[in-house]
Amino acid sequence: MVGCKSQTSSGGGEKLTIGLLPKSKGNQYFVTCEKGARLAAADLGAELLFDGPTNTDPAKQNEIVENWISLGVDVIAAACENKDGISTALKKAQQAGIKVVTYDADAQPDARSFFVNQATEQGIGDQLMDTAAALTGGEGEFAIITATLTAANTNEWIKYIKERQAAKYPNMKLVEVKPCDDQKDKAQQETTNLLSAYPNLKAVIAVCSPGVPGAAEAVKQAGKAGQVKVLGLGLPSENKAYVKEGVTQAVVLWKVEDLGYLTVQVAAAVAQGKLQAGATEFDAGKLGKLEIQGDNVLLGKPFVFTKENIDQFDF
Amino acid sequence: MLAKHETVLLAVILVEILLFQNLGRNFLAESNVSNIFRHSVEIGLLALVMTPVILTGGIDLSLGSMMGLCAVVFGLLVKQFDVSPWLAAVAAISLGAFGGMGNAFLITRMNLPPLIVTLGTFSLFRGLAEALTKGSEAYSGFPQGFLNLGNANVLGLPAQLWVFFFITLLVWVLVHRTVWGRSLQAIGFAPQGARYAGISVGRNTGMAYVLAGAIAGLAAVILVARLGEARANIGIGYELLAITAVVLGGTSIFGGSGSISGTLLGYVAIAILNNGLSRITAHQIFDQPVSSVARELSGMLTGLLLLLALAAGVLLKSLAIRRARRQSLITTTNPTPST
Repeated sequence: MVGCKSQTSSGGGEKLTIGLLPKSKGNQYFVTCEKGARLAAADLGAELLFDGPTNTDPAKQNEIVENWISLGVDVIAAACENKDGISTALKKAQQAGIKVVTYDADAQPDARSFFVNQATEQGIGDQLMDTAAALTGGEGEFAIITATLTAANTNEWIKYIKERQAAKYPNMKLVEVKPCDDQKDKAQQETTNLLSAYPNLKAVIAVCSPGVPGAAEAVKQAGKAGQVKVLGLGLPSENKAYVKEGVTQAVVLWKVEDLGYLTVQVAAAVAQGKLQAGATEFDAGKLGKLEIQGDNVLLGKPFVFTKENIDQFDF
Repeated sequence: MLAKHETVLLAVILVEILLFQNLGRNFLAESNVSNIFRHSVEIGLLALVMTPVILTGGIDLSLGSMMGLCAVVFGLLVKQFDVSPWLAAVAAISLGAFGGMGNAFLITRMNLPPLIVTLGTFSLFRGLAEALTKGSEAYSGFPQGFLNLGNANVLGLPAQLWVFFFITLLVWVLVHRTVWGRSLQAIGFAPQGARYAGISVGRNTGMAYVLAGAIAGLAAVILVARLGEARANIGIGYELLAITAVVLGGTSIFGGSGSISGTLLGYVAIAILNNGLSRITAHQIFDQPVSSVARELSGMLTGLLLLLALAAGVLLKSLAIRRARRQSLITTTNPTPST
């Protein structure tokens, strides 16, 4: 390990270096995360490196992690696109004495010490399904727009949506799950196809942030605003116009900036040895005391943004 | 002329190293030098075998997609059918060769243009890979012995680098020291002339595509070993980086002239650029540390480097022509008999 920085003292003179890895760099969601992360890094006096893939090459996340290892960072916080693939690189980081935490989308449990969980998968799945049922009166066909069919966290949410529907809303029917590759245009195109294929469609649930405005634009252009409900996980700012027009009825999300903030707080605490396995509570600076379930640091319950409250948020 | 081009590339590489050593963080650390090659060896392999293809005046756009297909079949064999990874690797390489044979058949027997044929198989191979995995399945959990191929060191160097050295030697011998290799330049320079000279144009050209396919299969296996995961979308866009390395290395995109050593230098220049930029954390560009826009910058700079190399090539050629013309003018005005 030539040139690797010594990592002896925890609160010592040397500046803590944190590598924050998003799933993709251009995505507004992660840009907002970075904002919160920068805030926390400034509070802690730590150096923050933010870098992520700009395309869908699955090798890129691994390469960034491996570069950070030889760069000599103290701790890496990763949002994982491919759970198994990235874990190979994260384990290498651990072997090199670098602490690893994950956020947004988890790695294999033995490849990191903590996962900063923005909301439990079940919490999100249930919230989306309940909101869809409330909007449609609990009956009719609905479809799902997802990011890619491979992303681990979106697949989990979809699983809980299906379970909730089977358990509580027998009169609703999921007709199709379509990937949009995290692109608005593609989401719009897929939704347009869905609208013509299923004339009785009552709702579209988008489980990735570019999917919500994409689906809304398709519904709007088809002249079916209000008739086909649009809801999903997304940024309030990206959906504000559609929500106000009445095309999109509900946006479900946690406060993204807080996720970035919490991630850096957790990463720093783990690197300095202040947060260790077995803790049940974490003091997250301006966010107060947060619950830890097992090795998951919980950000809290997801939030539903609607026409009534969306103006209060600017991310 | 070629030697001159390679000197220029060598200078570019030296400038890169000096620049990144001064501006970057731990650039020459042993672990980072390993990274440079570990992360790019697949592109290096594709560039090596893309060279004979381009020498014939052809092109192979299907190699990145071929990697996706070979990776998926490899994963399928190991995880679903319990085949040993090494046997599955042989199968993946054979599949690559077989796919290359498909390209070769369409190009040399049906006389279709390589650009169009491989554009077709570019979509076909990727589509097959996605269909086999239903777009979502990925195979992981390979034995550690196999993962070492992508992650361990052998005699102080990344394991896959030894494979790369071996393939480099092999391709160099094939291209520069065999009758087949010599014939490729003739074919690229003037296919009709080569035919009249008694060269089996179809067979010799076809072999370049078969070799390219087989090595794409090998590159897929190495990438899977590095990531610990086989999925349909690996290798996207790698063929373009490989073509860039080849052309940067001085091989004419129209065929007929070029060298493996040039390709190697072109590849190293690109690999260092990609890695080095991501290590500049202390300097800013566009109000951000260089390292956080490294990927965008390296894309831009690679493009720029390529265009400069092409322009320099054209300039050198026109200078040479002018000099030759002047020379001939002198000889026609002073008609002294010369030997």
